[in-house]
Amino acid sequence: MNQPQAPRWAKTLLRWLHPENTLEEVEGDLDELYAYSVQRFGKRQALLRYLLNVATVLPPFVPRRRGNKKYEQSFSHSPDMLKNYFKIAWRNIVRQKAYSILNIAGLSIGMACSILILLWVQNELSYDRFHTRAGQLFRLTCTAGDFKTAVSAAGMSGGLQSELPQITSGVRISKLIPMLFEAGEKKVEEKRVFYADSNFLEVFSFPLLAGNAATALKDPGAILITEEIAEKYYGNRDAVGKTIRINNKDNFTIAGILANTPSNSHLQFDVIIPMKTMAKWDWDLKNDTWGNFNFYTYLELDEKTAASASARQKLTQQIGKIFKDRGQTIQVDFQLQPLTDIHLHSNLQIDLPGHGNIQYVNIFFVVAIFILFVACINFMNLATARSERRAKEVGLRKVVGANRHQLVFQFLGESLIFSFLSLVIAIGIVFLLLPVFKMLTEKTLAIDLLDGKLLLSLIGIAVLTGLLSGSYPALFLSGFAPVKVLKGKLRVAGGNLLFRNALVVTQFVVAIVLLVGTAVVYKQLDFIKKRNLGFDKSNLLYLPMTGELGAKKQTLKTSLAQNPLTENFTVISDMPTTLATGTTDIVWDGQTIRNQIVFPSLDVDENFIKVFKSQVLAGRGFDRAFSGDSSNYMINEKAMQIMGMNLGNAVGKSLNFGDDKGTIIGVVKDFHFKSLQYAMEPLILRLNKWGGVVMVRTAAGSNEQTIKALEKINQELNPAFPFKFGFLDEDLDNLYRSEQQMGSIFNLFAGLAIFISCLGLYGLSAFMAEQRTKEIGVRKVLGATVAGVVGLLSQDFLKLILIAIVIASPIAWYAMNKWLQGFAYQTTLEWWVIALAGLMATGIALFTISFQSIKAALMNPVRSLRSE
Amino acid sequence: MRRTYLGEFEELVLLMIAILDGNAYGVTVSQEIEQQTGRLVTFGAVHNTLIRLEEKGFVTSELGGATTERGGRRKRLFKVTTLGKSAMEDIQQLRNKLWKLMPDDTLKLSGL
Repeated sequence: MNQPQAPRWAKTLLRWLHPENTLEEVEGDLDELYAYSVQRFGKRQALLRYLLNVATVLPPFVPRRRGNKKYEQSFSHSPDMLKNYFKIAWRNIVRQKAYSILNIAGLSIGMACSILILLWVQNELSYDRFHTRAGQLFRLTCTAGDFKTAVSAAGMSGGLQSELPQITSGVRISKLIPMLFEAGEKKVEEKRVFYADSNFLEVFSFPLLAGNAATALKDPGAILITEEIAEKYYGNRDAVGKTIRINNKDNFTIAGILANTPSNSHLQFDVIIPMKTMAKWDWDLKNDTWGNFNFYTYLELDEKTAASASARQKLTQQIGKIFKDRGQTIQVDFQLQPLTDIHLHSNLQIDLPGHGNIQYVNIFFVVAIFILFVACINFMNLATARSERRAKEVGLRKVVGANRHQLVFQFLGESLIFSFLSLVIAIGIVFLLLPVFKMLTEKTLAIDLLDGKLLLSLIGIAVLTGLLSGSYPALFLSGFAPVKVLKGKLRVAGGNLLFRNALVVTQFVVAIVLLVGTAVVYKQLDFIKKRNLGFDKSNLLYLPMTGELGAKKQTLKTSLAQNPLTENFTVISDMPTTLATGTTDIVWDGQTIRNQIVFPSLDVDENFIKVFKSQVLAGRGFDRAFSGDSSNYMINEKAMQIMGMNLGNAVGKSLNFGDDKGTIIGVVKDFHFKSLQYAMEPLILRLNKWGGVVMVRTAAGSNEQTIKALEKINQELNPAFPFKFGFLDEDLDNLYRSEQQMGSIFNLFAGLAIFISCLGLYGLSAFMAEQRTKEIGVRKVLGATVAGVVGLLSQDFLKLILIAIVIASPIAWYAMNKWLQGFAYQTTLEWWVIALAGLMATGIALFTISFQSIKAALMNPVRSLRSE
Repeated sequence: MRRTYLGEFEELVLLMIAILDGNAYGVTVSQEIEQQTGRLVTFGAVHNTLIRLEEKGFVTSELGGATTERGGRRKRLFKVTTLGKSAMEDIQQLRNKLWKLMPDDTLKLSGL
C-alpha cells in the first residue's frame, strides 16, 4: 500500500528540533496519524492537523523525556563486560603461550632492572637525610687555587661561632685514625675511628642506645663505641662502664653504645673519642690554629640563613674576611657545603672515603628508564605485529556496538594485566638478584613491600609501563574498520610497519649505546690500571710503622737490611694512595709573588729512587754520603715547571719549605702519587727523618717468604701490635673502585637491554616467518636455496640494525666523551670501539633471528602450500 | 500513601491506556479519545501527558519491536503500573463516596 507522505520540510523541522530520545516514536506516531487523517478528513485537513501536531511537539511545548538510567548506561563498565574483558585477556595469554612468555619475560626483566636501579638511586639520594636538622648543617670546605679540600683549621669552628651569630653550633671531627683496640683476649686494629667535639651527638642524629648523650664525649677518658664493636669485644651490647685499651697504651671507659652507623651516612665510624683527648697532645688543638687544615668542621646555621642562598653567600664572605683578619696570608676561599650534598656532590681532596657521584646516579636513572622503555617497545611491537589475530575480534565487537573508546579501554586494560603480572614476577626477580646486586654495589639495599611509598612507586611503574606499552596497540587495533576486517581484507598498513621499524631501531640504539658505554668504561679502567705511573707498582709490599716500630726505626732498618728478602726497602711518610699533605708555604729562588699553589710533599729515604724504580732527570737522589741532605729537597718535573726552572738550572737553587731553608738537589721524573682522577701536581720530596710506611720491593715469586720474614720482624720488634701488610698495586686498584662498580653495573644492564631487545626481535622474526610461510614455500619450489631464504628474512632486520648503529654512534661518542672528561688521564675513544659494539649487536641480532629464519627456510614447501 | 494529583486530561489518558490494554501508544490513545469522547486533541497534548504520567510513575513504557509499518520506526507502548491502577481506583472510590453523599433531589433539580 502506498502510504501518503507528509511534507518533507515539516519532517526535517521535526528531526531538527524534537528531543532526540523520543524522535523515533513521535515521528512514527505522526506519520501514522497523518495516514489516518488523510483517510478520514482528506488531504488538506490532514496536512493542517499534521502541521499543528508537529508544532505541539516542538521545543517550548514538548518536555524532554527524562532519560532512564538503565538504558543510558555504558556497557563497558558493567560487571559482565568487565568479566568478559578479563576472560578474553586471559584466553589470549593462554592461547598464545610463546608470545605471552616473550612479552611477560621482557617486561618483567625490564621492570626488575628498573626497580634495582631505582633502589640504588634512592639509596644514593637518601644520604645524610636522616639527621633531624639535616637542612641546617653545612660542612666548611675550602679552595686554594685548583686545590679543593674538605678540611679546615682547628680553631675555625670556635672562632667563627663567637663572631658570627648565624652559626648556632659547630662540630669538629678529626680525620680517620686507625688504632689498636684491646679488651680481654681480643686485639684488633680498628680503622673507622675519629675524634669529635662533645656536641657531636647534639648536632648529628646518631642514636645512642646506652649511656648519657649529654655527658658522653665530655670526659676525655671515656669513648663511644657502636653496637657492632661492643659485640665484637664483649660479646654483648652491655658494655657501658667497661674498659678498653687503645694502642697498647691508654685505658678508656666505654661511656655509651651507639647504634651502628646507618649505611646512608657519609660519616662512617665504629669508635668516637672525645676531642679533649686529642687536645692533650695535638699542636693544632692546643693553639686553636687557623693555619693548619687538618679537621672537618660542620656548622649548624640558623634556619633563616640555611634557607637562603644569598645569606649563605654572605656568610662565606664574612668567614673569608675573618680568616684574613686573623693574619692568614694564603688566598683561600671558603664554601659551605650542605650536609646532604656531601655524598654525591663532593669532589674534594682529603675527604672521608666512600663518596658517590651524582653523575653516576643520573646516568643510571636514565639507563633504568631506557631499559623499561625497551621492554615497552617489545610489547608494542609484538602486539601490533600480531594485531591480525585480534582483528576479527575487534571487527565483531564493533559490529555489535562497541565504540572506539571501549576498545581502547579493553586493550589498555589488557596491557595493564600484562604489566601487573610482570610486576609480580619482577619483584620475585628483584628478591633473587638483590644479594648479587648488593655485592656489586657494596650497599645495603633492601626491598620492603610493606613500605607504602615503595609500593606506590612500584604500582606507578606498572601502571606507567602498562599505559605506555598498551597505548599504541590500543589506538591501532581500535581503529580497524569492521567491514574490511570481517571481509578478511586487512592489509597491515605501511604506517604501522614504519612505526614498528622505528621502535626496533630505538631498541637497538639503546642497546648499542649501552654496549659502547660498557666498552669505554672497561677501556678507561684498563688504561688507568696499565698506565705507567712513573714508578713500578708491582711487587711493592708495605708495612705501616705502627706501635713501637716508629721508636725502633734504626733496629727495624737493620733487621730489614740483614734479610736478603727484605733488603730492598725504603721508608716513606705516606702511601701514594693516601697522600694528603700540602702546603703553599714555599719560597724558591727567583720567586716574584707569594706562592698560591698547593705543593704536596712526601718524605722519603735514601733508597726511594732505587726501590720505586723512578727516574732522576737531573741532579741526584738523597744519599748517605752527603751529610747535608736533611735540609735538601728533590722536586718533580711539575714543580720545576711551576717554579719556572728547567732541567739545566734547577739543581742548586734554594728552596724554603715552611721555615726549613734548603737546596734543590735533584729533579725526579713525574710519577703519580695520587689517584689518576687528579692531574699531576707538583711534589717536593724531603728526607724522611721519622717513619711512616716501610715499602719493600720483593723479588718476583718470593712474596710469601717476604711476608713471613716481615711478620717475623714485626713479631720481634713490635709484639703488642698485630702484623699488618698490603700490596701497593692492590691499593691502587681500589682507588678506582667506584669506576669498577660502574663498569660492572653497566655491563650487567647493557647485557639485559640487549637480551630484552632480542626477546622482541625473536618474537618479531617468528611472526614474519609465519606470515611469509607461503612465499617461502613458493620460493623453495622455484629453486631458492636455504641460505637465500635465510638471507631474505634477515635482511629486513639487518637494515634496521644498521640504521640503529648510525644513530647510536654519535650519541655514544658524545656521552662517553663527556664521561671521560671527568678523568685527568683519558683513554682515547676510537672508532673501532663503536664499530665493535655495532658488530656485536648485529651478530647477536642475526643469531636471534636465525632461529626462526632457518626453521622457516628448512620447512618442506609441500606442507606450507598444501593447504591452499 | 502519597496523594497524587491527577488532572482531568491525565485521568482520561490513563483510562484510555487501561482500556487499550497493552496496545496503547500515541496514535491509539489519540484515536481512542477522539472516538470515545469526540474531543479532537493535538498529538502534542497526548505526548506530553504520556511523558508526565510516566514521570509520575503511573505508567511504564517500552519500545515495541520494529515493524514494516511506519517506515520501521518503533512504537513506544505504555502500560498502567500498580501505582496507576490504585490511583484510578482511589479516584473512582472517592467519586462513588461523594455521589452517595449527594442528597437525592440535587440531581433532580439540576436535571430540570
